[in-house]
Amino acid sequence: MKLKDCHNFYDFRKLAKKKLPSPIFHYIDGAADDEITYKRNTSAFNDVDLIPNVLRGVESVDLSTTIFGKKIDLPFYCAPTALQRLFHYDGERAVGKAAQKFNTMFGVSALATVSVEEIASLIDTPKMFQFYFHKDRGLNDSCLERAKAAKFDVLALTVDTITGGNRERDLRTGFTSPPKLTLSSLYSFATKPMWGINYLTKGKFELPHLQDYVKEGTSTNTSIGNYFSTMLDQSMNWNDAEKLCSQWGGHFALKGVMSVEDAKRAVDIGCTGIMVSNHGGRQLDGSRSPFDQLAEIVDAVGDKLDVICEGGFQRGTHMLKALSIGAKACSGGRLYLYALAAAGQAGVERALGQYKAELVRDMKLMGCTKISDLNRSNLRFRKNES
Amino acid sequence: MNLEDCHNFDDFRKLAKKKLPSPIFHYIDGGSDDETTLKRNTEAFNSCDLIPNILRGTGKPDLSTKIFGRKINIPLFLSPTAMQRLYHPDGDKASAKAAEKFGTMYSMSTMANNSIEEISNISSGPKLFQLYIHKDKSITDDLVERCKRANFDGLCLTVDTIVAGNRERDHRTGFTTPPKLTLNSLMSFAMKPRWVFDYLTNKKFELSNVKNKTDKGTNITKSVIEYINEQYDPGMNWKDAEYVVRKWNGPFALKGIMSVEDAKRAIDIGCTAIMISNHGGRQLDGSTSPFDQIKEISDAVGDKIEIILDGGIRRGTHVLKAIAAGAKACSLGKAFLFSLSAGGQKGVEKLLQNMQNEIERDMMLMGCKNLEELNISKLIYRK
Repeated sequence: MKLKDCHNFYDFRKLAKKKLPSPIFHYIDGAADDEITYKRNTSAFNDVDLIPNVLRGVESVDLSTTIFGKKIDLPFYCAPTALQRLFHYDGERAVGKAAQKFNTMFGVSALATVSVEEIASLIDTPKMFQFYFHKDRGLNDSCLERAKAAKFDVLALTVDTITGGNRERDLRTGFTSPPKLTLSSLYSFATKPMWGINYLTKGKFELPHLQDYVKEGTSTNTSIGNYFSTMLDQSMNWNDAEKLCSQWGGHFALKGVMSVEDAKRAVDIGCTGIMVSNHGGRQLDGSRSPFDQLAEIVDAVGDKLDVICEGGFQRGTHMLKALSIGAKACSGGRLYLYALAAAGQAGVERALGQYKAELVRDMKLMGCTKISDLNRSNLRFRKNES
Repeated sequence: MNLEDCHNFDDFRKLAKKKLPSPIFHYIDGGSDDETTLKRNTEAFNSCDLIPNILRGTGKPDLSTKIFGRKINIPLFLSPTAMQRLYHPDGDKASAKAAEKFGTMYSMSTMANNSIEEISNISSGPKLFQLYIHKDKSITDDLVERCKRANFDGLCLTVDTIVAGNRERDHRTGFTTPPKLTLNSLMSFAMKPRWVFDYLTNKKFELSNVKNKTDKGTNITKSVIEYINEQYDPGMNWKDAEYVVRKWNGPFALKGIMSVEDAKRAIDIGCTAIMISNHGGRQLDGSTSPFDQIKEISDAVGDKIEIILDGGIRRGTHVLKAIAAGAKACSLGKAFLFSLSAGGQKGVEKLLQNMQNEIERDMMLMGCKNLEELNISKLIYRK
């Protein structure tokens, strides 16, 4: 199986599985507890059907949308995800350049393996910095100032990781960052020699935003759950978020809002956007899916800030459905991470290109030529199904 | 595979399956008829979603609640289950000690292999006694008196076993109490020599609480189905229940309530609690699941009586959903029996530790400081 055989999400996943040592593959692929919410994030799209219109003259389709004051050419973007150099040796460089090629937004994680400065020097497409609220205020200030100096467009504060989710696949595979060889994982690393060679020869693994402040994550092997539970400030509250918002002084989003009540409060503290997200099903299993909750939140705050639907997208039609409900844009992690693992920048470009092609085709089949043509009259919810 | 590898229900189940002779494993694992209700008991939790709140600065949440007049540190306790000696030589002693260690309730079945007095001597933690009404009424009076003297905190009367459920796995494996070697089951016992060794070298198997009143189940081998049908009074009615409530005169629950009507009647006869339960899907297959029914019952009587949800709990999030829908606490049967089989007291402690960790983590992710904050507004039922 090669990159040219990858026609959809599932193909990229298969190729990624072939290329990655199993603890790393399962770190991407896994979710919390029984992974019920993870599955629901995608299956929720099947509870609603699209109603196409005909004879609308659809030869050219404009997929552009405006979020956080920036026009992007696609109604979806690459959500910030941690540790990308574990998946491919180019890591964030590969994803950033691919996003640039399609002129869409690139989200950089606080746990990125390439620095904000380097990303800023590589690409000029809109950029979001994802922020974790650490106990160490010096570290928080440093992250914020560096993102500001690097002229990032948006700061997104993650609010759904107040403690680490129960990712049982990681418990079984012994996943840590940086990867640690244990007897049980040795075999899986030994059977993917190319990954090992690249990992060891293409530059040292680092967490550049954290390394001046902490030893966890850079030289000491730690699990992600452990990082969340020990380094992040569990007393984080609305005051902290409001202060951060004004300290940043630009477009500011909360990532991981799931209730109408919290969405309204995000407006009150000055947010210009929210990501309706459950962290890809990786935190609280049994919690609601973004798509299930989207309409209620859009109705409450959609005219006051940008509502972004995050998680579960595997097809262009899924995005069409979220955009029809009223999301300003869609975002995802696994959406491009399998492709990154499969083939680096070329992989991510192929994946983004496919979603774009699907969206153009689906828009034409729907009889729509621009994103604002999509609305709830395009959708019918099925009754009595779960 | 050993205890350290047990992260969830399925892991404990797998380890128990490795350790137990198959008739005994299937006695725990099975339900009645086609096991439809057994499966629904857990699946029902997926019919609604949790809605978390953010930025609440909750810190470590308080997981304590109060049932049967006693504070327990986690909203989860051990359901009364019969014949625990079959699963581990320490039997009820192991589960009672594990529960005490986690500050939660241990429950004793009428059909326990340890006596009321024995357990009361080794645990000062909260204790619940489960009562079956035998045809021989003197058994009931004797049990109630002994529980009083032994300082048990609460009594529950099981009302869903008026006749035995059709547990087809037991028909096939020839499960009896005490276990009997048949040609059929010989192989499965021979393959678990460790279990047989422990069983034969430890205290004799007996139904300790009723052995002075009947030889059945202790010296006379019976299938559980035969035992229930011979010994329990199928004529049991509301008057009999009221008699026991008065005789006990303390915190009292009916175990196996599934309808709003019966929940209301439980209040009328003086119960302080009800356990919404279908006996772990082991009695009437096709009946509704506790979680499917709890909201309706809680809406009707939640302010007048303590509601305990019994059945289907596999995860911390299941406990959270039950409490949001109106339960004061939940109880575990199968999950804890597998952990007991897997590792005795240590096994049950590992399970309770896992569940405590999950509930604590899930509460933090929900943005809730204590169980009172978990209410129906945190749930959305799917259409």
